[in-house]
Amino acid sequence: MIDILITFIGASLLLYVLLGGSDYGAGILELFPAGKFRERQKNVINHAMGPVWEANHMWLILIVVILFMGFPAIFTTLMTSLHLPMLALLIGIVVRGAAFTFRHYDAIQEPRSQRVYTWLFGLSSLWTAMWLGIIAASLNRGLIDTQARDPWIAYIRPWWGLYPLAVGIFITCIFVFLASVYLIGETEDTDLKLHFKRWAMSLNCAVVIAGGLVFAVSIAENESLLAAFARTPLTWGVMVLATLLFLAMWLLVRRGYHLWIRAVAIGQATLILVGWLLLYAPDAVNTVQGPLTFYQKAAPAATLRQLMIALLVGSVFIFPSLFFLFRIFKMKRE
Amino acid sequence: MDDLMAARSTMAFSLGFHIIFAAIGMTMPFFMSASHFLYLRKGNDAYLKLTKMWMKGVAILFAVGAVSGTVLSFELGLLWPGFMLHAGPIIGMPFSWEGTAFFLEAIAIGLFLYGWKRMNPWVHWFTGLAVGVSGFASGIFVVAANAWMNSPAGFEFANGVFSNIDPVRAMFNRAWLHQSLHMQLAALQAVGFAVGGIHGLLFLRGKARDLNMKAFKIAMTFGAAAALVQPLAGHFSGQRVAELQPAKLAAMEGHFHTSRQAPLYIGGIPDVEKQEMKWGIPLPGALSFIAHDDFNAEVIGLDRFPRDEWPHVVICHIAFQIMVGIGTAMALMGAAYFWFLKRGKFPPWYLKLLVPFIPAGVIAIEAGWIVTEVGRQPWIIYGIMRTKDAVTPVPGMVYHFYLFLVLYLALAAASAWLLWRQIKSVQTGEEDA
Repeated sequence: MIDILITFIGASLLLYVLLGGSDYGAGILELFPAGKFRERQKNVINHAMGPVWEANHMWLILIVVILFMGFPAIFTTLMTSLHLPMLALLIGIVVRGAAFTFRHYDAIQEPRSQRVYTWLFGLSSLWTAMWLGIIAASLNRGLIDTQARDPWIAYIRPWWGLYPLAVGIFITCIFVFLASVYLIGETEDTDLKLHFKRWAMSLNCAVVIAGGLVFAVSIAENESLLAAFARTPLTWGVMVLATLLFLAMWLLVRRGYHLWIRAVAIGQATLILVGWLLLYAPDAVNTVQGPLTFYQKAAPAATLRQLMIALLVGSVFIFPSLFFLFRIFKMKRE
Repeated sequence: MDDLMAARSTMAFSLGFHIIFAAIGMTMPFFMSASHFLYLRKGNDAYLKLTKMWMKGVAILFAVGAVSGTVLSFELGLLWPGFMLHAGPIIGMPFSWEGTAFFLEAIAIGLFLYGWKRMNPWVHWFTGLAVGVSGFASGIFVVAANAWMNSPAGFEFANGVFSNIDPVRAMFNRAWLHQSLHMQLAALQAVGFAVGGIHGLLFLRGKARDLNMKAFKIAMTFGAAAALVQPLAGHFSGQRVAELQPAKLAAMEGHFHTSRQAPLYIGGIPDVEKQEMKWGIPLPGALSFIAHDDFNAEVIGLDRFPRDEWPHVVICHIAFQIMVGIGTAMALMGAAYFWFLKRGKFPPWYLKLLVPFIPAGVIAIEAGWIVTEVGRQPWIIYGIMRTKDAVTPVPGMVYHFYLFLVLYLALAAASAWLLWRQIKSVQTGEEDA
C-alpha cells in the first residue's frame, strides 16, 4: 500500500515537473528580451497555458495532501525545518498565479498594466522555480536537524549554501527548456517556431552545463550527492541516457519533428527526475538524526486505506477529464 | 505580539481572506450557469453577455481563491506542525476528497473558460456547472475537516497518544452537517446579495438596464432563497453547539451563570470581570428555548468551565450578534425580494436598501467564522489539544504575519481594481470575448 502511495507521489511530482514546470519556464522565458516576438510570444503562451493552468498546479496540492495525510511526520519536519524556503515558495506561487490570470482577464488591456503583469509573472516564476530547486536539494543533504534549538542550525543551515542554489539553477533550466520545446508545437507562425527552437537548443546546452555545475559544486562543497551516486549505479545509467538523448534532440530539431522533440524532452526530464528519486530511495528526507523513510513514517493503515480509496476514485474522475481537457486544447487543431 | 499570537493572526487572516474568494468561487459558477442555461434555451444575447461577464469575474476570483487555498494547505504545516502531526492522518480524508473535487474544478474551469466554440454548447454548459458542483463539494469537505476540530471523533486518546484511528468516523463527526449546511447557505446568500446588490445599483443608475435586471434576478433568487432557509440552519447549528461545545455557546450569548429560563440578549457587551451582560435587552427564557426547545431548560454557563478554558467572551458575543443581525435582515430582504418578484416590479427604494447588503453577507461570514474559531479557543482540537501546544517552534512568526498581511492586502486591492475595471468596461458597452 505504501508503495502505491509512493508511486502516486512520484507520478504527481513527475507531472508537476512536466506540466507545471513548463508553466514556470514560459514565465521565465518572457523575462528575456524577445524584440518583435514579444507580443506574439505572450499570446501563444496565454493561449497554450490558460486552459491547463489551474489543472497543472493541482499536482503540487496533491503531493501536499498525500504527505500530510499519509506521512505527517515527513510533512511537519519539512514545514518546520524548511519553513523559510516554503514561505518563499508560497509567496511566489501567490504572485505568479494572480499575475498570470490578471494579465489575461484584465478587462482593459493596456500596455502599461500588461507590462507589469508580465514582469511580475516572469520574476515570480523564476523566484518560485529557484526555491523549488532549493527545497528539492535540501531534502537529502542530511542537514535537517529536528532537535536543534539554535535558529541558524534548525531553520537556515538545512537549505543554505551553493549546492541548493546550483540545483535551483538546474531545475530552472529544465523548466525553461521544457517550455520552449512545448511552445514550438503551440504556434503555426514559422518565425516564432524558429524563435522557440533557438531557445530550446540553447536551453538544451544550459541544462547540461547546469547539471555539470551541480556536480562540480557538490564535489567542492562536500555534499552527499556523489556518495549517493556511488551507491546507485543505476542512476549513472539513467543520467548517461538522459545526456545521450540531447544528441537525438539536436537531430530532431533540425528535421523539425515536433511531436518527437516533445517526446524526447519529456523523456529527458523524466529520466533526470527518476534518477534523482532513485538516488535516495527509500529515504524521503535525510536528517542529522537519520533518514525519514516513507515506510517508517507512514500513517496508520486505516488512514492509508482511505487515502488510497480517495486517490483511486479520484483518478477515475480526474484522468478522463484531464484527458478530455488536453484533447480539446492540445490535440484538436482547427 | 508573541509567536503564538502571530501564528494565530496569520491563520485568521489567511482564512478570512480565502473564505471570501472561496465563497464566490463555489457559488458564482451557479449564477453563471443559470444565465448560460437561459441563453442556450432562449437565445437572448443579453444572457450570453452576462454569462461571459460573470465568467471573467469567476476566472479572476477563482485564481485568487486557488492560490490562497494553496497557501492554507502549506500553512497547516508551517504554522501548526504539532496539530498536523496527529490530526493529519485523522482528518486527512476530507482533505483528500477536497483535493479531488478541487482538481476536477480546476479542469472544469479550464474547459469552460477556453472552451467556447470548441465543443458542443451543452457539453460546454455542463463544464461550467461542473465548476460550481465540484467547488461546492470541496467547500463541504473542507468545512467537515474544520468541524472535526470542534467535535473530534474517530480516534482514541490516552496519555497524549492518538490510537484506533477511523478516518470515516472522523470525517462524519457530529459537527460536519450543521457547519457545512450553515456555511454553504451563507456563501450562496452572501454572494447572491453582493452580486445582486451591485447589479441593482447599476440598474438604478440607468446603465444597461435590461442586462442588469436579468443579472439582479438570477443572483438574488439564489441569495434570497438561501437567506430564507438560513435561519433554520442557524438554529440547528445553535442547538448542536449547545450540545457539543457549551462553552462556545455560553461565550456567544454572554451567558456566565448556569441557569434555567436562561435569557437571550439582544445586543449588549459582556463584562467578563463582573460576569454580567451590560446594556443588553434580555428575552427571558429565550436562550433555553433556542438551545433546548424548552423555556425551562438549563443552559450551561461559563461558570462550569475553568477560567483558562474560556474563549474570548466579548469577541464571540459581538461577532455572533453581528452575524445574527445581518442574517435576520437578509432573511427579511429575501422575503421582500420574492414579494416584489411576484408583483413583477422592484421599487427603487428596495434596490437602494440592498446596497449596504453588498458587503453585509461577507461581513456576516467573517463574523460567523470568528465565532467558530475564537469560540473554540483555547483548544485547537476541542478538549484534546491546546492551540499553544500545536504552534510551530520557528521563531519570528510576527514577520510571517506582516508578510502575508501586505501580500494579501495588495492582492485584495488588485482584485477589487480588476473587478471595477470589469464592471466599468461592461457598462460602457465595450465588447470583447
